[in-house]
Amino acid sequence: MNRETTFWASLPEHWRIARTLRRLQIYFYPLKCKGVWECYEACPVGCWMPDRAGHKAIFREGERCIACGACVLQCPEDAIELR
Amino acid sequence: MATVFMKWLETSPKDYERGIQMLTLGRLGTLRRDLLDAYIRPGCRVLEIGCGTGALTVMMAQRGAHVTAIDVAPAMLAEAEEKVVRRALQSQVDLKLMDASLIGERFPAGSFDLIVAVLVFSELAPDLQRHVLRACARLLAPGGYLLLGDEVVPGRARRRLAYYAVRLPLSLLTWLLTRTGTTPLRDIEAMLAETGYRARMQAAYLGGSLVLYEARLPGVAGAEVSSDAIRAAAQQAWPAPFVPPPGVVGRLRRRTTLRTLLVDLWALFLRIIPPYPKVRPGLYAVGRPHARSPVLVTGNFDLTVRRLVAAIDGRVDAWLLVADSAGINVWCAAGGGYFTAEKVIAALKSSRMDELVDHHALILPQLCANGVDGWKVRQETGWGVHWGPVRAVDVPAYLQAGRKKTDAMRWVRFPLRDRLEMVTVTLGFYGLLILLPVLLFWRHLFWPLSASLIGLSYFYAVVLPWLPGRDGLMKSVPLTLIALAGLLLYTSLWNPLPVERLFNWTLALTGLSVFAGAELQGMSPLMRGEQANWGWEAVIGVVLGLIYWSAPLAMGWS
Repeated sequence: MNRETTFWASLPEHWRIARTLRRLQIYFYPLKCKGVWECYEACPVGCWMPDRAGHKAIFREGERCIACGACVLQCPEDAIELR
Repeated sequence: MATVFMKWLETSPKDYERGIQMLTLGRLGTLRRDLLDAYIRPGCRVLEIGCGTGALTVMMAQRGAHVTAIDVAPAMLAEAEEKVVRRALQSQVDLKLMDASLIGERFPAGSFDLIVAVLVFSELAPDLQRHVLRACARLLAPGGYLLLGDEVVPGRARRRLAYYAVRLPLSLLTWLLTRTGTTPLRDIEAMLAETGYRARMQAAYLGGSLVLYEARLPGVAGAEVSSDAIRAAAQQAWPAPFVPPPGVVGRLRRRTTLRTLLVDLWALFLRIIPPYPKVRPGLYAVGRPHARSPVLVTGNFDLTVRRLVAAIDGRVDAWLLVADSAGINVWCAAGGGYFTAEKVIAALKSSRMDELVDHHALILPQLCANGVDGWKVRQETGWGVHWGPVRAVDVPAYLQAGRKKTDAMRWVRFPLRDRLEMVTVTLGFYGLLILLPVLLFWRHLFWPLSASLIGLSYFYAVVLPWLPGRDGLMKSVPLTLIALAGLLLYTSLWNPLPVERLFNWTLALTGLSVFAGAELQGMSPLMRGEQANWGWEAVIGVVLGLIYWSAPLAMGWS
């Protein structure tokens, strides 16, 4: 097989990955949040905090987000999106 | 860059089929045909575990069998689906995306006349092999057969020698061409006997290195260890020396040997390059765990397991469930799809954990939450999932506090020690990538360029938190300025360079700084993957290249 072809053919895909990863950000829908706080348990960079009085999660300091997707995967209410 | 390399390592379905045909010198086709002739009758119900690209699946369906075929790789299944549709066999073939560990509960007992697994068992960890064999025993209808086709190492010495003489160069060639490899199966006859089968070798090919086993269940069930015995063993107060209860691979202790030192050395420089040092997946004991001890889950990267054991041995008694993460650390394996809920479920189901402990709480590393779907684990197993601390050293304090994390335990930090370690790891790979061609083609530049790359990378690692800029690409701007300031000082105070060389070094240092800044972003847990910088890196690279070619022309340099 010709490796060269595969490499050049993969360039647009890499370009797309780069663009997506640069731009990904969190969209949070607090109305759906039931205060399970799995996001708080999962986030390694401290973007999520529990609002214990309001039984909701709080998303803060979005520029810290490393787009790892842990909170999206663990949220049982689909209240978080990464796009 | 590392990700491009990882991408190349991945096998495409077409490569896989070609690769295994190469490895078996085409005899896999013979094995498949023999299997068809001897066992497949119209109307028989077949379960094929690990159908891959569906080559055997469609052959069986064409002979009139009703085939249920499962595989864990979506890409392989898509290829199989295409084959099935092209031959209009949809009514006879049922393709399912499923892990082999789940077959026992997904299909009713006695629902297959034939269970076929070709080149599958050698891919499974020993505990999982045992688990799947037990599940197959449940699924087979009376008089049914289990057929295992796999690679084995021949038993006789001369044949074994011939096997290795052919096998080693062949597997290297195959891997380079198709990134496909297989591991020979070990001790399968003993395991078949242990799980209650009567097995015999139906056919052997390639001097006995590719074999087809036929296994069936006798009327009475085999001698299995009863769960009562396991429970009793788990609950007894263990006297020294420690005797692991049945189902436990062994006990892990904190220790340093020549092997661990060598692995540490390898992991310090070449961690990115496979083969990754692995631990056999399965259930282990740390300390003297009992029925109420916590169950910790982790991946099977050797360094991960050893660091975890070093952090808890002597402080906590715990069960350690090592799941198969392809030998990769939990964070990267979870992000890359190698450490998933399915892997955790498979490890749990194949370990008989239920019989060893009387609670249902799994503690998973927090840093696998980006790939292991906790809710899937909860639903499929009924076990509770708790996200442990980020760092292994915090595990004892976390357990002591009753599985409560402080914020310091849940947020990653990137202290100097870790930064130096990670930059060394990354340099091992990039050093080879960049400096090897330099050594071959521009030998006179090797030492200055090596010194620049290594110096810049370590300098970057040290000053990382204080460099302005949110990501590696932005941080590479001040890094470039500092590097160029260094060049200016060097030429004005120490060794005045002619203008052409100054020009070349300016471009080279800019390129290296951008590369170091942008690519080393991937080593930091506080920034996104380095893939985010590829676009800009390519643009900057092209611009630097254009300047390199056009400026001398414009300036009239030779």
